[in-house]
Amino acid sequence: MANIAALRIQREFKEVIRSEEVAKCAIKVELVNDSFTELKGEIAGPPDTPYEGGNFVLEIKVPETYPFNPPKVRFITKIWHPNISSVTGAICLDILKDQWAAAMTLRTVLLSLQALLSAAEPDDPQDAVVARQYKEHPEMFRQTAKHWTYVYAGGPAKMPDLDDKIRRLTDMGIEEHNARVALSSYNWDLERATEQLFS
Amino acid sequence: MTTEEYDTEMDYSDSDCGDPGYEDYYNVHPWDGEGDNDIDNDQSRRDPEYAVYDCLRIEEVERLLNEDVESLSNSLHITPSLAKVLLHAHNWALQDIIAKYRTNASSLLINSKIKPLPPLDSLSGLKSQRNGLCSVCVAIQSAEKFSTLTCGHSFCKDCWCMHFEVQISQGISTGISCMAQDCNVLAPEDFVLSLLTKPNMRERYQQFAFCDYVKSHPQLRFCPGPNCQMIMRSKEQRAKRVMCSSCKTVFCFRCGIDYHAPTDCNTMKKWLTKCADDSETANYISAHTKDCPKCHICIEKNGGCNHMQCYNCKYDFCWMCLGDWKAHGSEYYVCSRYKENPNIAHESVLAQAREALKKYLHYYERWENHSKSLKLEEQTLEAIKMQINKKVMNYSGTWIDWQHLFAAASLLTRCRYTLQYTYPYAYYMEPGPRKELFEYQQAQLEAEIEDLSWKIEHAETTNRGDLENQMDIAEKRRVTLLKDFLEKNSRRKEEGRGERERENISEK
Repeated sequence: MANIAALRIQREFKEVIRSEEVAKCAIKVELVNDSFTELKGEIAGPPDTPYEGGNFVLEIKVPETYPFNPPKVRFITKIWHPNISSVTGAICLDILKDQWAAAMTLRTVLLSLQALLSAAEPDDPQDAVVARQYKEHPEMFRQTAKHWTYVYAGGPAKMPDLDDKIRRLTDMGIEEHNARVALSSYNWDLERATEQLFS
Repeated sequence: MTTEEYDTEMDYSDSDCGDPGYEDYYNVHPWDGEGDNDIDNDQSRRDPEYAVYDCLRIEEVERLLNEDVESLSNSLHITPSLAKVLLHAHNWALQDIIAKYRTNASSLLINSKIKPLPPLDSLSGLKSQRNGLCSVCVAIQSAEKFSTLTCGHSFCKDCWCMHFEVQISQGISTGISCMAQDCNVLAPEDFVLSLLTKPNMRERYQQFAFCDYVKSHPQLRFCPGPNCQMIMRSKEQRAKRVMCSSCKTVFCFRCGIDYHAPTDCNTMKKWLTKCADDSETANYISAHTKDCPKCHICIEKNGGCNHMQCYNCKYDFCWMCLGDWKAHGSEYYVCSRYKENPNIAHESVLAQAREALKKYLHYYERWENHSKSLKLEEQTLEAIKMQINKKVMNYSGTWIDWQHLFAAASLLTRCRYTLQYTYPYAYYMEPGPRKELFEYQQAQLEAEIEDLSWKIEHAETTNRGDLENQMDIAEKRRVTLLKDFLEKNSRRKEEGRGERERENISEK
C-alpha cells in the first residue's frame, strides 16, 4: 500500500511542478524527506482578499493509505480565517475529510485551499472567535486578516494604528503574538484585551 | 392545546376520582383471569401500554429483508443488489419506490445515487483507461484490469479493492462511493463483493451493510441490550414499551432508550442531554455567584451576611445591590432602592438563572429519587420472598396463597417507573391549567404508591381485598397520567402517515 502512496506522490509532485499555477507562482510543493511521507506546500493569497500578497506555508503529511485516505494538511503560517484555527493551523475543509476522493491530487488540494481563502464558510467554523467577527464585524475581520497577512505571511499592507495598539501591550510586558491574539479576538478594543490578558 | 383536549382529560380524571362507571367495572379486571383470552384487543384494553411486536433473530430479519429485495427486483427487473441500494435509500418503502420508478425512473436512480448526475463530467476516468493508466495508482495496466460503475469513472480492480478495504475498515459499507472527484455514485453490493478478495473483509462488509439496512428500516430496531443480537420488529413506529425476549431489556421502540411514558422521545432526549450537560454547572455558577463590582473576580457567597469583602481587591460591597457598603451604614434595607438602578437588567439575568436552576433541581431531585427507589425495589422483592417463605414454614397459607404480594410488588415497580418519567415531562410543560392538572394527578399517584408500598410492607395486617383494591387504584392513577401520551402517540401515527403522503405528492 505504501508503494502506491509513494508512486502517487512522486507523480503528483511532478504534476504540480509542471502545472500552470506554479508558473504563475500561485502554488508550490517541496519535499521534506526522501520517503514522500511529508511535504511542504505553499499557496499565494488570492487577489482581492485580505490575504493578497501573502505566502502561506502548509504542512502536508501523507498517510500510508494515501490516496484512499486524504493527506493531513495544516497551515504553518499563522492566519486569521474562520475555517482555519488561529492557534494550531488546523483546517476545516470537506475534501480533507469525508468528501475526499482517491482521484484527487495534491494540486486539487492546494487549489481548494486557495479557494477557501477567497470564500470562507463562517457557518462551518474551525475558529469560532474568527467566525463570529467575520459575521458580525466584517470590516474589522478584513483589517485583522490583512494585518496577520502582513505580519506572518509577508503581505504588503502595514497598519500603523493596529501596530500602535500592540505596542501599548508589549510595553506592559506582554509577548507580541499574545497581544495580537487578544486584540484580534476583542475587535481591537484595547481595554477589553488588557482585561483578558491580566485576568 | 385545544379546549376540547382539556375537557376530555378533565372528564377522564373526574370519572376516575369518583365512581369508576359501569363500563369500567365490567370490562377492566386487570388482576383476574389473566391469560385466558389472548386476543390483542382484549390485551390492549387490559394494559394500555400493550404493544404488538416480534423479537427476531438475525437470520429471520435477513429472510424478511430478502423478501422485500426479491419482490422489488422482480417487479422492476433490476438486480437484487440495485434493489438493496434503492430500498436502503428509501427506508424500505417498497410501494413508494415502485410508484416513483413508474413515474420517473431516471430521477429515482439519480436521487438514489445509482446513476450519476447528468451531464457526465469530463470523463477523466475513461480517458485514463484508454491510455491504460489508472489515475489512482498511476500504473499502466491492461484493459481487462479495469472496472467501472454507472458513472463511467474507470479505475483498476486493485485500486477499487483497496478503496473498499479502507472504507470498510472505517465502518463504511452501503455508503461507499466512486473514487472520482465530485462523483457520488454508490458502489452496489455485487460490485463491491466481486472485487473484494479477503474473506474477512467480505464478512465485515456484509455485517456492516446488514446493520445499515436494519437502521434504515422503520419497522426494525436493534435491541440496545449489551451484546444482544436480537432485532425488534413492529409495524407501527410508535413510542411503545418493548421487551427483548433474549436479554429482557425493556426499551422504547421508537428511540431505543429506556421506556419513558408519559414523556415523549424528543423531550426525553432533551432531558437526558440536560442532565448530562455541564451547562447546569454554568447555571449554578451564575445562580450562586456574582462578580466583584470593582475587580470583576467571581465570588461565591457561601452563607450569612450580605456585607461582602472581595478577597482579591478588598472592596467592601453589598451582596444584594452590589453597591459600595459604606453607603449602607446601619440602614441595611436601604439597598432595595438599587433595584431600579441601571444594574437591574444584569440583576434580572442572574435572578432568572437562579430561578431556572431552582426549577431544574426540583424536577431532577425527584427524577433521581425515583430512579434510586426503583433500584431498591429488588431488595423489596427479596424481602417479600423471605416473608412468604416464613409464612409458609409457619403453616399460615401455602406459597400460592401469597402470590398476590408478588403481583403487588411488580405493580409498585411499574408505578414508580411511570412516576419517574413524569418528571421530565412536567419540567418541559408550559405553565398553565394543564400543567396544574398533570401535577395534581402526579401527586395523587405518588400518594397511592406510598400507600401501596406501606400495605405491602405490612402484608400480615392488611387483608388481601384491601391490598388488591389499593393496587387497582394505583394502576388507574398511573393510566390517567399516561392517557395523554398514549393518545398523542396514536395521533402522531396518523399524522406521520399524512406527512408521508404529502411528501410523495411533492416529489412527483
